Amino acid sequence: MERKFEIKDLITAGIFTALYFAVTFAVACIGFIPIVMVFMPLIGPIFTGIPLMLYFSKIKHFGMITITSVIIAILMFITGHPYPIFIFCIGAGLLTELVLKAGDYQSIRSCVLGSSTFSLWMLGMVIAFFFGFRESYLNSLVDGYGQEYVDKMSEYTPTWVFFTMIAMCIVGGLIGGLLGAKVLKKHFRKAGIV
Amino acid sequence: MIEFKNVTFAYSSTDADGRAIEQGSISGIDLTIQNGEFVVLTGGSGCGKTTITRLINGLIPHYYSGTLNGDVLIDGKSVPNTPIFETAKKVGSVFQNPRSQFFNVNTTDEIAFAAENQCIAPERILSHIAETTRNMQIEKLLDRSIFELSGGEKQIIACAGINVLSPDIVVLDEPSSNLDSSAIMKLKSILADWKSQGKTIIIAEHRLYFLRELADRMLILEGGRITKELQADEVNKLTFADTERMGIRPLSLEDISFSRESSSNHNEMLTLESFIFTYKDGKHGINIPKLELPTNSVIAIIGHNGAGKSTLARNICGLEKKCKGTLTLNGKKLKAKDRLHYCYMIMQDVNHQLFTESVRDEVMLSMTDKSMPDEQKAQKADEILTQLDLIEYADTHPMALSGGQKQRTAIASGIASSKPIIIFDEPTSGLDLAHMKQVAVEILKLRDMGKTVFIVTHDLELILSCCDHIVRLEKGEAAENYKLYKDIAARLRQFFAN
Amino acid sequence: MELGLSSTSDNSVQKLDPRTKLCLLIAISLIMVGGKTVGVEYILRVICAAIPFVLLLTVRHIKSALIYVMLLGLSVFCEGSVIPNISGAPNLILMILCGIISRFVPGYMMGWYTVRSTSVSEFMTAMDRMRVPYFITIPFSVMFRYFPTLGEEYRSIHDAMKMREIGQSVKNPFIYIEYVLVPIMMSTVRIADELSAASLTKGLCAGGKRTHICQISIKFYDWLLMLGSLVMIVLFFVF
Repeated sequence: MERKFEIKDLITAGIFTALYFAVTFAVACIGFIPIVMVFMPLIGPIFTGIPLMLYFSKIKHFGMITITSVIIAILMFITGHPYPIFIFCIGAGLLTELVLKAGDYQSIRSCVLGSSTFSLWMLGMVIAFFFGFRESYLNSLVDGYGQEYVDKMSEYTPTWVFFTMIAMCIVGGLIGGLLGAKVLKKHFRKAGIV
Repeated sequence: MIEFKNVTFAYSSTDADGRAIEQGSISGIDLTIQNGEFVVLTGGSGCGKTTITRLINGLIPHYYSGTLNGDVLIDGKSVPNTPIFETAKKVGSVFQNPRSQFFNVNTTDEIAFAAENQCIAPERILSHIAETTRNMQIEKLLDRSIFELSGGEKQIIACAGINVLSPDIVVLDEPSSNLDSSAIMKLKSILADWKSQGKTIIIAEHRLYFLRELADRMLILEGGRITKELQADEVNKLTFADTERMGIRPLSLEDISFSRESSSNHNEMLTLESFIFTYKDGKHGINIPKLELPTNSVIAIIGHNGAGKSTLARNICGLEKKCKGTLTLNGKKLKAKDRLHYCYMIMQDVNHQLFTESVRDEVMLSMTDKSMPDEQKAQKADEILTQLDLIEYADTHPMALSGGQKQRTAIASGIASSKPIIIFDEPTSGLDLAHMKQVAVEILKLRDMGKTVFIVTHDLELILSCCDHIVRLEKGEAAENYKLYKDIAARLRQFFAN
Repeated sequence: MELGLSSTSDNSVQKLDPRTKLCLLIAISLIMVGGKTVGVEYILRVICAAIPFVLLLTVRHIKSALIYVMLLGLSVFCEGSVIPNISGAPNLILMILCGIISRFVPGYMMGWYTVRSTSVSEFMTAMDRMRVPYFITIPFSVMFRYFPTLGEEYRSIHDAMKMREIGQSVKNPFIYIEYVLVPIMMSTVRIADELSAASLTKGLCAGGKRTHICQISIKFYDWLLMLGSLVMIVLFFVF
């Protein structure tokens, strides 16, 4: 850490994490429609990108976005998401931290890129469905249904879907970041708030 | 003892165009406040009174940056050179906006918060809380969510938090802005209690009537300088005419004059029928079977906190779908859903109703007539903006404006919507005399345009300067409904004095 | 919108320490998601599935406890008797659905219990005792404080949109999002500023030590449950 956190930084981190999380939650509520659910990694980051960009514009030094990622991880964990969420959240947080630092916490371009890398934490919510869960679930089916059936099942939920989700996150995050940048310019800079 | 030694301060913030903001800066302040003194700071908005409170509690220069010259000393120790954490032991602060001054959700945690930060042993904090609770009689407010409390109750919690740590100095920055008259009386008794304990109190306020008996000294600021200093006996002698001349709010509600001839002689009436509505908690609500009110006049809705004023306003506006009541206007019976097309509300926090990127767009957004071409809309918008002295800000972002200008922008879009009923929710909370008068003038303008205006308010001065008709609510029912004229004004005063 | 921990303290009879709840969460999410359905692990699964039910009953969330049991029972029943008798797409969908319910819902219910039965101050005190650094705990409690404010802001912006008759007439969802989000973001910035100032004057200090009036302690039951979770996790990895 280059500088000690000030109270202002910590409160900003807390408040914006709340806003970010609430937007994620609101989008996830729409996402209960099954078709939309598949595209959640794309749609989610588009909306969350807007408040995220405002948050990035308030970040002036190292560590705040990592704090946000840790908080999201803890919150997701205590609401019952399995433990891999920690790896994904904190990983995405650190990666974003580096991206922002590369732009010296100023450059709009690295903020947009950061909005994209930060969205990767959302994969932590689905990872268990794809790996830990699918393997063990299918293994447990072997006894009852036979290997042939299980092979067929794995075809329906192929691993490449997971990689598509990564791509969706990145693209969604980029779109969200660009939208956020537009909103910042249209409203916040004009109002003299950023 | 607090000493200001030739203190000059200017905020380093800039507006959208990069110009330095001069609002609130102070220059050459020399001031000594003795231990146990009760000092009232007043003056128009931006006069620098809030800046003085921030210099005492150390927020300047530790939080708000700017250029500071001179020194501020508390008991001989320089505040700018002391960490704010240390100053917090000696100086307690109460702020204007109860929504953003609490760190905790739970009231008991909030009361204990300042003491916890000073690492006081939990047992001691708990015994202090128990004592404070007894003295202030706030058992009912403990262990609640702050989001359930009224504005007045929140300020009481803020004061209770100060009692627990018990600092020698308390600074308050417009604590009464969002309070009704009964909550102000409670605040007054807390202040009196602190004064009797020998605390030094510095309060920056617009509303002064509750401070008359408490103030040892009153300082009037203008443009960052102390322009007038009054001692307790002088404060007591101030009449309505004096305060009017000085440009500050009156010190007594008794002698506010009602000089206006009621000019609204309109005979047409609008009728509210079966306005019966209860909130989910089952406690609060309104119960108004029938109420007749004059159209094209200014109607004040008054009553204590929880009497249902805002609920009535929301129901008139049609914001509560479940309300079965009807409003009959010009022979048309309007249900809740229809009323949304007829009513426009200027909310207490206008920030919530401004959506676009410029003042002109904001006004044009209200013109829902699709057949009108955009140029014509823009032209009409500019006409309205000229009427409200906003034309020079037509291209400015609404959020870059001052509070009063934002409110006028909201009024402008209300006019543009061409709805016949305009409702104001507490339009003058936290306003100084000049701005309050301006609001009154705007409200009268709306009446002259033929609108019917409802005002939910606690502000007697505003009522006397622009209202024609009074509805007083009590426990959700319309307790009184009368036309306001000179002889009856006494009845109104009596309500506000209690 | 019920986001976050409860704001007032809970007065139920059996009050668990937040740390115990965290231990149980770890055990449940490990075992339910990854475990096999045979042998020792089967027994572990049954125990883990039962814990949230019992705990929800202790805090009198009877309705959610019953919904939970019904969901779980239904999915077990389907896995046992319905799925083998059907084929094709319905089979697949049902199987995935049941798999998700039987593996993830116990964790969510335990999370729901944790959130509903822990007050913000208890959780903060527990985090402090677990030596979680201040730069996590302070933002964390600010977050919980801000959730209800967000709700209030949203409601009043929504009212304003209704009253100004915008939003309904706006067909473009991005404009709707802009109208809702921008005012919320504006007040977020303002509240962050004011709250920081208020907290500073109350002596909140980055890195400073604080005390807590909220008392939490690990009691006999807590030791028992923590030991139980540990044994389960060990058994899970051994087998």
